[in-house]
Amino acid sequence: MSIADWTVAPVGRATNYVLETVGGASMILWRIMRALVPPRFDGHETWRQLDRVGVRSAPIVIVTALFVGAIMVIQTAFYVNKTGATSLLGYGVGFTVFAEIGPILIGLMFSGRVGANNTAELGTMVVTEQVDALRALAIDPMRYLVVPRFIAMMLMLTLLMVLGDLFAIIGAAATAQGLIGLDWRVLIANLIESHLLDELTMGIVKAACFGVSISCISCYFGLSVSGGAAGVGRATNNSVVANATAIFLIDFLVGWLYTL
Amino acid sequence: MALHALNTTHRASGNILASLGRPFLSAGRFLSELGRLFRDTAVAIARGRFSGAAVIKQAYEIGNRSVPFIAITLGVLGLISVYQVATQVAQIIPDFSMIGAAFIQMMVREFAPTITGLMVATRVGSGIAAEIGSMVVTEQVDALRMCNADPVEYLVAPRTIASAVMVVMLTAVGVVFATFAGMLVGKGAFGIPYNTFLSLQLTGIGDVAIGVTKALSYGIAIPVIASQAGLATTGGSAGVGWAATSAVVNTSFAVIVIDFVISALAFLVH
Repeated sequence: MSIADWTVAPVGRATNYVLETVGGASMILWRIMRALVPPRFDGHETWRQLDRVGVRSAPIVIVTALFVGAIMVIQTAFYVNKTGATSLLGYGVGFTVFAEIGPILIGLMFSGRVGANNTAELGTMVVTEQVDALRALAIDPMRYLVVPRFIAMMLMLTLLMVLGDLFAIIGAAATAQGLIGLDWRVLIANLIESHLLDELTMGIVKAACFGVSISCISCYFGLSVSGGAAGVGRATNNSVVANATAIFLIDFLVGWLYTL
Repeated sequence: MALHALNTTHRASGNILASLGRPFLSAGRFLSELGRLFRDTAVAIARGRFSGAAVIKQAYEIGNRSVPFIAITLGVLGLISVYQVATQVAQIIPDFSMIGAAFIQMMVREFAPTITGLMVATRVGSGIAAEIGSMVVTEQVDALRMCNADPVEYLVAPRTIASAVMVVMLTAVGVVFATFAGMLVGKGAFGIPYNTFLSLQLTGIGDVAIGVTKALSYGIAIPVIASQAGLATTGGSAGVGWAATSAVVNTSFAVIVIDFVISALAFLVH
């Protein structure tokens, strides 16, 4: 084995893989845009996806949000107890949950549930040649499979984020009352006084962007599956990894653009 | 007639009760299956019935190969947190002297273990489920049983030991990368000197203990929950995809719940 095999080659392979993924997902996004203007996609399938992607994800998002609120109130209380500034508890919880931790954790849960599922489903359709069957019937897989999923994920993750923010506050208030020993009304009043509208909208914008990236990346990995059951498993694994990385990068990018 | 009416109401109420009870029943069945797998894994590890070579191989697979992923995600997390917090602090009091110390403490006790845990749940959890799932559908697990090799001893135990060690290691790596990224953004965007930022003045042994406890708990929970999803795979390639999906959701959710429990206990003890 020459030196280049374990020094340069892995770097090149990794770069290749990253560029291939980014390129593939961008191509999907471009083709989605082409199918959206003028709108040419299956309306019925879109309704079905809105239910499957959004409504069925609501329970896991709600439970995650309750825990996120609870965890952040405990962590903030740790600092607040040291400095005695109880009035900062609502601000600290609201800021971290609305702007950062809420979107990241709910985005990751959504990517795990919906993104992975989507890759697995499309991948199965590819290996069982159902996608080819669609083409043979002159049905464009983009319009029938990808665009409805894109619309559903973007719309529903945005709405689920609003729901998640609400339940995170409920979780925070319950934990403040039950564990920290702070009246929940104090927390809510403090939260309202903190003027966190910018953070709230930033979190929702982040969620919409996550919806776009999750749908493009998971559709890309799903449609490029090869190699039977093991291939579907591998594609699902790669899809969630790429989605998680994209969530962090987008989170940083949106946060940075907001402070400009 | 009355009997018929009674029967109908009985059946209707039975339906309502059944639909109310079904999620609890399936959750109970799932939890008892998971509990059994945890017990079997613990027994296999306690009796030392696993191969050391497999542990090393899995440790490489779970640990070393996750380093780039952890470095990127935790590094970006460090960038984001320092940038956001420093922007907020700048609006109230332009005093950045405590940001580094508080950042490192928060990373050690909360964010590095939990985000590392979530990333491992994503990468390794779905990987384990997909791998074991495709072994199940291609009947390799049945072949193991035929050869009198216990799948728990052969597949689950090495992954559990490797992951328990490696999540702790990856958390340490995560703290380093997050701190490094935070330090750079602190210097670049807010002019915080490196040696002011790199302060361990708030980070005590208690914070390290909490962080390690969290990482260790995630490390044990992730492979067992993911293996359960993999071993429960039915059907062909669709089943493998489903197993990987449910592994990601279950392990991520487990990380969040464990984080809450340990944080709450740490708060009460404090």
